Amino acid sequence: MCADVRKIRSPFHEFAFGFNVIVDLIEPGTRVLDLGCGTGTLLQRLKDEKNVEVCGVEVDQEKTIRAIERGIRVLRFDLDEGLDGFPERSYDYVVLSRTLQQLMNPGRVVREMLRIGAKSIITFPNFGHWKVAVQYLLRGRMPVYSTHPHPWHRTPDIQPLTIDDFRDFIKRVGGKIEHEIHIIGDQPRTQTFWANRRAEWGCCLVSAA
Amino acid sequence: MPVIPIKEYADSDGLYGRVQPQYAHFDGITLESGTFLGPLTVAYETYGQLSPNKDNAILMLHALSGDAHVAGIDESGRLGWWDAMIGPGKGIDTNRYFVICSNCLGGCKGTTGPPSINPETGRPYGRQFPLITIGDMVKVQAMLVEHLGIERLHNVIGGSMGGMQALEWSVRYPDKVRSAVVIAATARLSPQGIAFNWVGRNAIYCDPIRCSDGSDRKESCEDTGRGLSVARMIGHITYLSEETMEAKFGRKLRLKDMDGYLYNLGENGVEPGEFEVESYLRHQGSSFVQRFDEDSYIVITKAIDYFDLEKETGELSEAFKDVQAKILVISFSSDWLYPTSMSLTIVRALLKQHKDVSFIELDLPYGHDSFLVNAGIPSMTRIIRGFLHGVR
Repeated sequence: MCADVRKIRSPFHEFAFGFNVIVDLIEPGTRVLDLGCGTGTLLQRLKDEKNVEVCGVEVDQEKTIRAIERGIRVLRFDLDEGLDGFPERSYDYVVLSRTLQQLMNPGRVVREMLRIGAKSIITFPNFGHWKVAVQYLLRGRMPVYSTHPHPWHRTPDIQPLTIDDFRDFIKRVGGKIEHEIHIIGDQPRTQTFWANRRAEWGCCLVSAA
Repeated sequence: MPVIPIKEYADSDGLYGRVQPQYAHFDGITLESGTFLGPLTVAYETYGQLSPNKDNAILMLHALSGDAHVAGIDESGRLGWWDAMIGPGKGIDTNRYFVICSNCLGGCKGTTGPPSINPETGRPYGRQFPLITIGDMVKVQAMLVEHLGIERLHNVIGGSMGGMQALEWSVRYPDKVRSAVVIAATARLSPQGIAFNWVGRNAIYCDPIRCSDGSDRKESCEDTGRGLSVARMIGHITYLSEETMEAKFGRKLRLKDMDGYLYNLGENGVEPGEFEVESYLRHQGSSFVQRFDEDSYIVITKAIDYFDLEKETGELSEAFKDVQAKILVISFSSDWLYPTSMSLTIVRALLKQHKDVSFIELDLPYGHDSFLVNAGIPSMTRIIRGFLHGVR
């Protein structure tokens, strides 16, 4: 089970594939702010491959240090405590990768993203996936799946959401989804039939409505 | 020359070896107050080699009680105040960078300050020394940098008052600094900070006044230094955290064989100090008197009090308008003198101007002095090395 989980999770976890999707969405030579940038792996790629001017925000001390060590510009902020220091439209893209479901106040953070960036890229694990639903429905247990690998009592994913939830949510915070990508079995797809039940991850390009 | 590997982190071990103080002489400067001060001597030390392009220079900026001796071993065998950070293979690698550290204007460690001889009277300036600002200190540093033939510094770095200077450098000489590291600092001293400095200076003023011209008093009065000692003790409390004090001293009594309180205040109004924290502070106070000048303490704390980057523009972000340097701001979670919120004020103002600023708050328990504590060196080393490396 454990090895299995790691295998399925690898695309987004080891950054190779999940980040490809994000990297492909970003135009070269732009300015990118990555919220929850971790050790700066995505930003490093954007810098190297797309000549992007990068900045990251990370709350974890060790990850922040590792980002600084690799020469990435980073700010140790808690996203939930606000991003009001960033001026309006100061970035071409604001990225929130695999972090939305971990925020205390996702509405506030995403509104800030729409204010700071011309476009936002948000990726999140889809809690609506049928295998997740089956675990809950048939076993009566909180699902543990590749996209949600932690048991309920020690998960950072405090606010699980589905792709349909996300669509509603973006409307409510005053944004519109310009482009939607669904990751199914490591493959990025668009115009997916039954995405809310089949996709493991959602990746959306969002702008202010 | 053997290749010295990069150190993950280092201790204060004097690895750089022996260093000699150097002196630069200038005609003088017009201070922010309008007063002319001259001639000027600046005491400094350098470490490493200046590159042929003169583009690898780092200026170290010391805090209130520091001096030019930042690394290596001086003539008297003393280690530099940030030796753990600076040396071959260390966080600020002297195989790579040319490091300069000068004693600040108004200091008492070789640069012109209150203990220097006033050419008009032939006696030490003492309390006649003109009041200066952080800006004046930076101006003198800039004169030294120019004197060394360096047009643009790779980096300016300092903690506390040194951090204020690093900010002042970025604001005042935007085209002369590629990057700045601002550690445990603030863009304007808080009223709390002003208050502590005020109390410290007043402790000094309580000492009997010796001679009205401010000279010879050290020889003629044996009480001298008690006020400075009290000032230092107060200062030292503000540099530590409650947590450190609890861990370091607790309520331990000074004498190990003491099984209870003395119920005794000592004789002649000199309390012996029963608790370990008391004897620690007393030691800090009395050793400070041996190495520092009380009038320098007055002049430098006044300069710190005056520091306010918002003053001219009314808004901090306006002051940062012309900044070109990449800036790294570091704060410490346990620093209550210059708390993280003050660093965040700097960061937000720089962000507002779209400046290249990085920020990290380090979770270290040692209070304001965390950057000088060896336990903080491993993370500080990684951060500073990485940041300096990333500056083009």
